[in-house]
Amino acid sequence: MDFGFCLSPSSHVKMDSIDLTTFNRLKETNPDVNTCIACGSCTATCTAGNFTEMSFRRLLLMLQRGKEDEAKKMIQRCMLCGKCTLVCPRGINIRKILLDITR
Amino acid sequence: MNQYIFHPFVLPFVLGMAFVLTYCVVGLFRVICLLPKDDRKQFWRSLVTPKTAWANIRDLFGDCLFHVKIWKRNPILGYMHSAIAFGWFMIIVIGHVMLFTLKPLEGVEVEGFARTFTNFYYPIFYKHFATETPVFAFLMDFFLLMIISGILIAVVKKIYSKIVGVKRVTKFGFADNMVRFALWTIFPFRLIAEKSNIMAFWWLYSIDLMIFMCLLPFTRYMHIPTEALFILLRHAGLKPREPRKGYALAQIYSCPSCGLCIDACPMSVNDKMSGNTSAYFMKKLRNADDKEAKRIAETCMQCGKCVAVCPLSIESCDIKMTQREATPYIINSDHSYLEDRHFDRPQGAEKSPSVLYFAGCMTQLTPKIMRAMKQIMEAAGENYEFMDKDGGICCGRPMLLSGKTAEAQAMIAKNTEIIKQSRAKKLVLSCPICYKVFKEENHLEGIEIQHHTQYIDELIKNGKLKVNKGEVNYVYHDPCELGRAFGVYDEPREVIENVGNLKKAKSEKELSICCGGSLGSFNLTQQERDEITENSVNDLMFNNPEQIVTACPLCLKTFARKSPVAVKDIAEVVVENI
Amino acid sequence: MKENILIIGGGAAGMEAATQLQKLGLNPIIVEKSEALGGHIAQWDRLFPAFHPAKDVVDQMLEQVKDVKTYLNTEVTDIQKDNNGFHAVLSNNETIDAKAVILATGFDIFKAERKQEYGYGIYNNVMTSVELEKFFRTGKDARINNPKKIGFVHCVGARDVKVCNTYCSKVCCTTALKQACEIKEVFPEAEVYTFYMDLRMFGPGYEDLYLKTQKDFDVKCVRGRVCEVSEDMDGRLVIKAEDTLFGKPLKMTLDVLVLMCSMEKNKSIDAIQQKLGVANNSDGFMQNKDMYLGMNDTKQDGVFVAGACTAPKSLPDTVGEARSVAVEVFNYINNK
Repeated sequence: MDFGFCLSPSSHVKMDSIDLTTFNRLKETNPDVNTCIACGSCTATCTAGNFTEMSFRRLLLMLQRGKEDEAKKMIQRCMLCGKCTLVCPRGINIRKILLDITR
Repeated sequence: MNQYIFHPFVLPFVLGMAFVLTYCVVGLFRVICLLPKDDRKQFWRSLVTPKTAWANIRDLFGDCLFHVKIWKRNPILGYMHSAIAFGWFMIIVIGHVMLFTLKPLEGVEVEGFARTFTNFYYPIFYKHFATETPVFAFLMDFFLLMIISGILIAVVKKIYSKIVGVKRVTKFGFADNMVRFALWTIFPFRLIAEKSNIMAFWWLYSIDLMIFMCLLPFTRYMHIPTEALFILLRHAGLKPREPRKGYALAQIYSCPSCGLCIDACPMSVNDKMSGNTSAYFMKKLRNADDKEAKRIAETCMQCGKCVAVCPLSIESCDIKMTQREATPYIINSDHSYLEDRHFDRPQGAEKSPSVLYFAGCMTQLTPKIMRAMKQIMEAAGENYEFMDKDGGICCGRPMLLSGKTAEAQAMIAKNTEIIKQSRAKKLVLSCPICYKVFKEENHLEGIEIQHHTQYIDELIKNGKLKVNKGEVNYVYHDPCELGRAFGVYDEPREVIENVGNLKKAKSEKELSICCGGSLGSFNLTQQERDEITENSVNDLMFNNPEQIVTACPLCLKTFARKSPVAVKDIAEVVVENI
Repeated sequence: MKENILIIGGGAAGMEAATQLQKLGLNPIIVEKSEALGGHIAQWDRLFPAFHPAKDVVDQMLEQVKDVKTYLNTEVTDIQKDNNGFHAVLSNNETIDAKAVILATGFDIFKAERKQEYGYGIYNNVMTSVELEKFFRTGKDARINNPKKIGFVHCVGARDVKVCNTYCSKVCCTTALKQACEIKEVFPEAEVYTFYMDLRMFGPGYEDLYLKTQKDFDVKCVRGRVCEVSEDMDGRLVIKAEDTLFGKPLKMTLDVLVLMCSMEKNKSIDAIQQKLGVANNSDGFMQNKDMYLGMNDTKQDGVFVAGACTAPKSLPDTVGEARSVAVEVFNYINNK
């Protein structure tokens, strides 16, 4: 039957049912993931971000919102240069977090 | 068997000796069999190549017996080691020479297997069975006393290590302590047994030897037999490829846990962090504690100081890198976006630049260095071009440090391509981290690669750059990846002496202490890094300089947080004095 | 005879405390290291949120302390305490005996050179908020030459582990918006951007200022921290930041970049502070006895604190503390 429209999946982040396994695992080894103030310094300075969509700030949010696949796709772009770690005003060991996600 | 040639007390010794010999032979085969095929071929070839063969002989004597390297670093420890090693070696050699001169053997009919068996223990216990000629008696006593004098120093060192100039010593387990105690008592027992001929002491002497040899493979003392093999492998020019196989295995067992690297390691600012040093890393590998080995490998800053001070030159940094490479990654990097990057020749620039300047990621955060380099190249009238003005591609060193070698190669290849497109004759880098990669990994034949310290030194020497000598007192910090990695010690110092006064730091050149900002470490927290930085700054402030000069953007930023005086890059200091 | 109270620092806190102590019948003595009373506030042009001239406020304060014994260009070089109170030696070799000491030493401005990536002292057109305020006061600054685009960077030297200052400097947000409006007044054609992470509009009328900034002055607030500044061929500044709300890194060319420098503890008092036995808190400011009810007290009997020497504070905060310290000192003297 054709109603002339279809149901599209909701674009909400379903906070009640998101999977936070990766983020929680990260939190154990890197307690400082919680201290991000989302200032975007990491993204602005990112060597890979100069050419691609790479943004650690968003990557961390993706994990916090259960979008693990998107996060893992984004991380492929990272060159691990460490500039983000150097500029982070919270002193978050970003390179370590990125590596921990990839292993 | 005749009572003059046998007594049951020799049995513990024979047992121990048989065990340790078997163990070593099996171990030797294991190491050699686990070498990659090409490495093994290279090894056999090196044994017959005159140059390496000579080096082998020189180092086998120089390092294993006389411990020349330890002598150079600390004469007391040098004497301790060579007294025990050389003394013991001589006792064994002279003992075997004496076999042919000892009287009672002549009258006794011992042939075949029994003869071999006798020869096995006879020189060790000869005094109970025979009398030697006065010359031999003197020599044997002399070397025995020499060993005991070495052991006395060892006992003092154990009780109060600061006397021999060592602050932190390695902490040992039960087996190590047992073997050490055995080693300390073997020779005093022998002396007493020889002089008094009391049976109990011959037994103690023999049992001590057995304990020593049976536990040897499970302790740090395994370095005694392994070191010889390690020297041969090293001279063959091999590189460790896996953390616990082949060449790396030989290195692991060659580590005597002497702990010289503990005092040297920049992380040894407190007891907790001193557990991250190479001596413990090797121990964890030896004990197959992979979890801890991995943790230490990833905490290490890769500054290379432990390798520089190691009396055996064990390449612990390289082994840590193989340990990192051994960690699997579940996500593969995709750097295909780099493909269409190319060298942007500036509009209107017809000619190729003679100098291509690559600032690097870190230097983008220290614009003073970039500006100073620009001013220097302008002042020297150089035809230059910036390679990464609008953001560059990472040199690949951080990827390499993470053990992702293949991914790093993609970036390295792209940078090589861009550099070749520029057709420049010379590549100048401000960041020692990049410098290491461009020197070692990029194939840039025909292009001279210089760090800006070398470049500025050259400009001053060939008269292109005129500088004035100022009055400021500077101290120079050697960045790890410029100093220890490439021995660039003199150029920066000559540059600084041209523009001001150079004061000495407490630890200089190959002993320089890492700033604490190193990209090499993944695990260190900001707080731990701060402690390392403070210690390093204190070392630099030893002679009260007015400014700290360094040649690495990362060192610069790291020191700036904790330094009581201004921290500058060498290029800035030069610009101030043009 | 009136009891002497030594006040170290002649800024807003010192002057206001002196005024109130005098009214309470004590004899305050101000020791000020610079050549005039007024402190940082005297360097300011107008005050947020109402653009009130700072000079008005400072003049009123000066009028009230005109009978207070004041030493200018003078520092306390030594101080001892015994049963009779405090004995201070001044840099002019005079000595002062006092029953109580008030530390009203205020703050220093973060040295912007320490954030090298912002290019202060490297690029010509990077300036600090203090220098911009001076421009408003004097109308003169070689760097401000009919700019078309102006940017403000918040939290320079604040909320930043990398410069060892983890605290919020409290007043920079509001100051930035105030200055953004003011520069727009001077150059109505210019585009003005502020780069913030959180806009902390904590006081009465502050949120109105924010609204005014957007509505009347068309100042554009971008949520993201500037992380790199460079110079292009024409000497204009190129900044990099992430527009975190849009989710993309941005690059922008500016004519002037203003760094909102944070407040740091005034370290010139460290030696005397140590002699008095007053410790610092984890932010490096002076430690008061209690955050709620003992904000003017220290662990040392007879030593009091007021104003920005204990934390970054606005002018109203400081004046309030100065008045409360006067009461604290009065009670201390009378209960002895």
